[in-house]
This record gives sequence, C-alpha cells and structure tokens, in this order.
Amino acid sequence: MLEIKNLHATVDGREILKGLDLTVPAGEVHAIMGPNGSGKSTLSYVLAGKEDYEVTDGTITWKGENLLDMDPEERAAAGVFLAFQYPMEIPGVATMTFLRSAVNAVRKARGQEEFSTPDFLRIVKEKAKLLKIDMAMLRRPLNVGFSGGEKKRNEILQMSLLEPDLCILDETDSGLDIDALRIVSEGVNALRSPERSMLVITHYQRLLNYIVPDRVHVLSKGRVARSGGPELALELEKSGYADYGQDEASAA
Amino acid sequence: MELPVQQFRTKAEQDLLDLYERSADALPGSAAIAALRQSAIRTYAGLGLPHRRVEAWKYTDLRGRIDEIPPLLAEADVQVGESELEAALGKAVLTLPAYRIVLAAGEFRGDLSDVGALRDEGVELGSLAQMLEQPPAWLTASLESGAARDDNVVIALNSALMTGGVGVRLPEGLTLQKPIHLIHLDAPGRPGSIYTRNVLVAEEGASATLFESFGTLGGQGIQRNAVTTVSLGAKSAVHHIKLQREAVETIHLNVWAADVGAEARYNGFQVSMGAALARNEVHVRFDGAGGATDISGATLARGSQHCDTTLVVEHNVPACESRELFKLVLNEEARGVFQGKIVVAKDAQKTDGKQMSQALLLSERAEFDSKPELEIYADDVVCGHGATSGQIDEELLFYLRARGLPEAEARALLIQAFVGEVFEALDDESIGDALAAVSAEWLGTPMEQAGP
Ligand SMILES: Nc1ncnc2c1ncn2[C@@H]1O[C@H](COP(=O)(O)OP(=O)(O)O)[C@@H](O)[C@H]1O
Ligand SMILES: [Mg+2]
Repeated sequence: MLEIKNLHATVDGREILKGLDLTVPAGEVHAIMGPNGSGKSTLSYVLAGKEDYEVTDGTITWKGENLLDMDPEERAAAGVFLAFQYPMEIPGVATMTFLRSAVNAVRKARGQEEFSTPDFLRIVKEKAKLLKIDMAMLRRPLNVGFSGGEKKRNEILQMSLLEPDLCILDETDSGLDIDALRIVSEGVNALRSPERSMLVITHYQRLLNYIVPDRVHVLSKGRVARSGGPELALELEKSGYADYGQDEASAA
Repeated sequence: MELPVQQFRTKAEQDLLDLYERSADALPGSAAIAALRQSAIRTYAGLGLPHRRVEAWKYTDLRGRIDEIPPLLAEADVQVGESELEAALGKAVLTLPAYRIVLAAGEFRGDLSDVGALRDEGVELGSLAQMLEQPPAWLTASLESGAARDDNVVIALNSALMTGGVGVRLPEGLTLQKPIHLIHLDAPGRPGSIYTRNVLVAEEGASATLFESFGTLGGQGIQRNAVTTVSLGAKSAVHHIKLQREAVETIHLNVWAADVGAEARYNGFQVSMGAALARNEVHVRFDGAGGATDISGATLARGSQHCDTTLVVEHNVPACESRELFKLVLNEEARGVFQGKIVVAKDAQKTDGKQMSQALLLSERAEFDSKPELEIYADDVVCGHGATSGQIDEELLFYLRARGLPEAEARALLIQAFVGEVFEALDDESIGDALAAVSAEWLGTPMEQAGP
C-alpha cells in the first residue's frame, strides 16, 4: 500500500505540491487527473526519487517503509516503477543492453538470480511480442529515433520486465494513436494483479476507457481537490478542468 | 659542429644536444643518413623545446615539463616473452589475429616478429636500424620529404636520434588480409629515451591495416619519441590504429605523417590512456585529387595526466574529404587538449572537411582545451568544426537509476556510451571490440555493459 500524507515539494525553490494526501491500497488502480501544471509529473518524480525535487514536508510510506529515505535505484528494487512522460534517449547504449543491465540490477538487489543470456532473450521476446515491439528495435540505441508510440511501448516493456508492484504511468497515453493506445493499455491491464498498485496519470479520460480505475483523483494547485469513482473521469470529460483552475504560473 | 644560436637553453634542451653529440658515432646509418641527422639536430637547435608561446603547442608546455634527458635505451636487452607482452597490452589486444612486429625499447626484435609470414605475402620489410645502413630509395624518400617535416621539433629530434623501428613497403596491388600489429615496449627499471621511426609505403592500389600499440614493461622515467610516416600511392588504403597505454610517468611524443595520393584513403584511429604527458600529432597531406581521410579516437585521462591531440589536414588538391571525431573522458585533474587544423589551398576546390571534438568532464578540476583552426583559401568548399564539453547528464543518470541501476554502474554506462560512438565507427570490428574492451576496463565497467 502507498500512503502519501501532507506532501509538500519544491522545485527551484518554488512550491509545487502543497499538502497532497493520497492512499493507494494494494491491487487498486487509481487515476490522477488534472489540468496542465497542476503537479502530476512532479508527484511522479517525487515518488521515483528525482534529486532536484525537494520534499519540504509530509511523508510517503510504501509497504510500511519510508520511501523518501531511499535512492532511486533502491526504490526500483523495492518495486517502484515510473513510466516517464518523456522517456530519455541515450545514444550509444543499445536498448537490449540497457534492459538487461536494469533487470539484472533489480534482480540482484532483490536477492534473485540474474538471468542467463538465453533465458533473458526468451523472456524479452515473449513480452515484446505482446506489445508488438520488433526485436530489431531493441538492438537500436535506447529510444533514439523511436516514435512517440515506440517510446511508450518501450516503457511498458521495461515495466513488465522489472516486475514492479507500484506502477506509476505519467501520461502514457499522450502522443499515442488509437491502435497504440489499445496495445499499451492491454500491456498495462495484463499487469493488473491483487499485489500491484497502479497510479495512472492522465490529462484525458480516453485512456481510462481502456484502463478502468478503481478511484479517480483530481489534482489542482498541488493538492487532491476531489476524489471519486470512475464516473468522475466522465464528468471531467464533459465539464473540463475549468472548476479546478489552472496554476497561474504554468499557463505556458 | 656549428649550431644556430639560441638565446637561452634550459638544461634539458642542452642535454638533448649533448645526447646527440655523445651518441652520433654509434647511431645507425650510412653517410647520407648521418648528414640527415646533422641537419635535423640543427633544426632542433634553432627551435629548442616547444612551449606555450609556440602556437602549435599553446596548451602543452614541453619545455616546462622536461627537466632532464635520460640516455638512449637502444641496447637495453629487454626480456620479452608472451607473458610480458600480455601484461603490457592485455590479452584481448595481444590475441588479435595479426602479423606481429615487436620493438622492445626501440629495438626491432626479429625473434618475436612475424617477418617470414609478411615476406611470404610479398611485403618488403626490415629493421629500420639495418635498413638505414643501405637505405632503399623508398625509405630515403620517406625520411626526407612529406607532410609535417619543416619545423616540427618532434620529427627533427626523431630524425637526429632514431635508433630503431621498422620499414615496410607494400608492393602495388597487395592487400594484406590481417593487420600488422606493431608493438612498442619500454624497458623496466631505469629511465631512458626511446626514439623509433617507422616507415610505411603503400604502393598504388595496396591496402593494409597498421595497428601500433604502446605498452609498458614497468618503465620508469621513460621519454618516448615515435614517428611513423605513411606514404599512400594512388588508390591505396591504409588504416592506422593506435593504442597507447604507456607507464604513468612516461612522456610520450608521437607523430604520424601521411601523404595521401589520388583517390587513396588514410584512416587514423587513436586510443590514448597512458603516460603522464602525451602529445599525439597526426598530419595528413593530400597530394592527389579524390583522397579521403577519417581521423578519430578517444582519450581517457585521470589523475594529473595531460593528453594533447593535434591534427593537421592539408587539402592541397581538389575534391578530398576529411573527417575528424575525438572523444575525451577526463577525470580528476586530467587535462585534455584537442587542436584541429584544416588548411585548404587555393586550388583545393570541392574540399569537404569536418571536425568535432567532445569532452566529458567527470570532475570539476578536469580541463579541456580545444582549438579548431580553419585556413581556407579556396571558395567552393564545405568545412565545419565543433567542440563540446560537459558533465554527465543528470536527467539520463536519473532515468537509469530509476530503472534500478546503481549510481556507479549508471555513470559507467553513460561514459561508455559517450565514447562508444567512436569505436563503433571503426572499420576493423575485431580491433574496435578489443579497444572498446580495453577502454571499458579503464572505465571500471565489466565487459557485460559494453554489449549484449
Ligand atoms: N524542473 C522544474 N523546474 C522548474 N519548474 C518546474 C520543473 N518541473 C515542473 N515545474 C513546474 O511545476 C509545475 C507543475 O509541473 P508538472 O508537475 O510538470 O505539472 P503536470 O505534470 O501536472 O502538467 C509547473 O508550473 C511547472 O512549470
Ligand atoms: Mg506532466
């Protein structure tokens, strides 16, 4: 279970999260919606442990442990996974090399045995196929020259390989056409399980037709302004975020 | 001997003249070679050791760095066997399929070299010291003319003091299937100077790879001066590769000078990781239209190492292409220098010259100096240069850590990726892989990370 209490976080000395409370029980999928600039990505970075995001108040507990005490790699080992809104391009690192380094690092940290090369290849092939990822793509440098959809599918591939139990998806739907959206959603739904919690961040309701959440939270000005069931997403689709304002400074 | 008057000489500058005086009688060569040596030492005496006010040495103060000149090591009588070679170069490099030639403390070691196999292929070759006694015309021509001869102190000293090396001539149309691996070793224990000169002549249509590696047998206070000239006939191709892992105190001065004939290709590739001070010069001169060159490499330096790479490409004739890409990884107080000069003569229309140097600074105290120089006298040319310098990208680092890679491993992977680009571009894949492995070892990464 993830428990966030009174979370305050600043970037470059500016407070972005201003007393956020959120609880995601094991096995549940919660959606976070909200206008641009409301702090959705900030929340995801704080959860993943990005250094320039400073937590000034509040607590985050994950499976009873203080998440804020952990380095990003320790969080990954503890089961936290962030599918980035903008996945990084790394020229010179073959995607396959990266996947293998990541999987083995996490397995090692969890006290599991590293995969042998043939085992690893077999598993990657299997999971890549579900996401309609071509093996040729995995031989290319990480995310370099990948289309928006390829990058997002690659994120979900990493998620399925690393077997996290807290999956945070930051606008995984942005830039996806309807086919890619379906493939990605199926990939995500396949990972739903009673042990896994998911935080699905999205600006639009569309994704939630495919990944149906247990709860929906609306983020506004760095706090959860409203929570409800899946019907809340539909309501927002009609009314827009007008009622929730836009953070003045983030209009750009 | 009458010497040009220099206002003031440092001790080391005077020592070099004395070293020549003392050694001249014993240095190998015919009367004509002795005359060449005389003229070369005069050139040196007029120039002295280069310092910061000499434009080409702006960032490398050789005069300030050298206090003493150790004796010549020519007769060091070094013990060399397979285990010494492996210790000096590493197994991956030593076991590359190649024709091997060993220079131990400058001395050509026929007993350790694949002389017979190369001669069977039709290659003319021999110990430079022996060849100098009765130099064939091609050797004399290479010693006396070509790129970068005038006013080059390193070459002048080399011509005056060369004791060993190898002369190689590839006859017309010969293609060597395996590289020639020229191994330069120092000698353990006492300080010494090593002056080697290698001459490679590729006649029309010939092609070969010359891989020069510099390794240490535990040398202390070694001063190395190594010059290789390459003369490329029309439509010939030479790939010239270097791995420098000298002892940490060594002063390593190296010049490659290539004269490129019509439609010939000269590719150079250098990996530098050893020595206290290294100066790598590559001079390429196009003598015939339609030639091409690609000079690239990687410098890995840490501690107080200083590594200077200076390239000069002279486009004297039309329609030649030059490419330069160097990557530097600098840690602690290391200093990296990249100077790239492209000269395009008035008649050298349709020249295409590009140059790039990129440094990754792993510490706040590391320093990168880059100096591109374009001298263009023709109007129909495409020339460009660029230099970048930066630290590890924190965003990328976070991405990798968020995927579970421990920080040190993530850093190593990013450094590896930064330099990886130059190794991938190397035509000879097995040498490229071996050099990438050696650099990965330097970076402290297990080979696992270098490829799936
Ligand atoms: N690295 C940063 N430096 C400065 N301001 C930032 C940074 N990241 C986010 N912000 C600001 O924080 C606010 C919230 O951004 P973000 O969390 O990306 O919102 P959302 O994902 O909801 O669109 C915005 O006003 C944005 O400009
Ligand atoms: Mg966002």
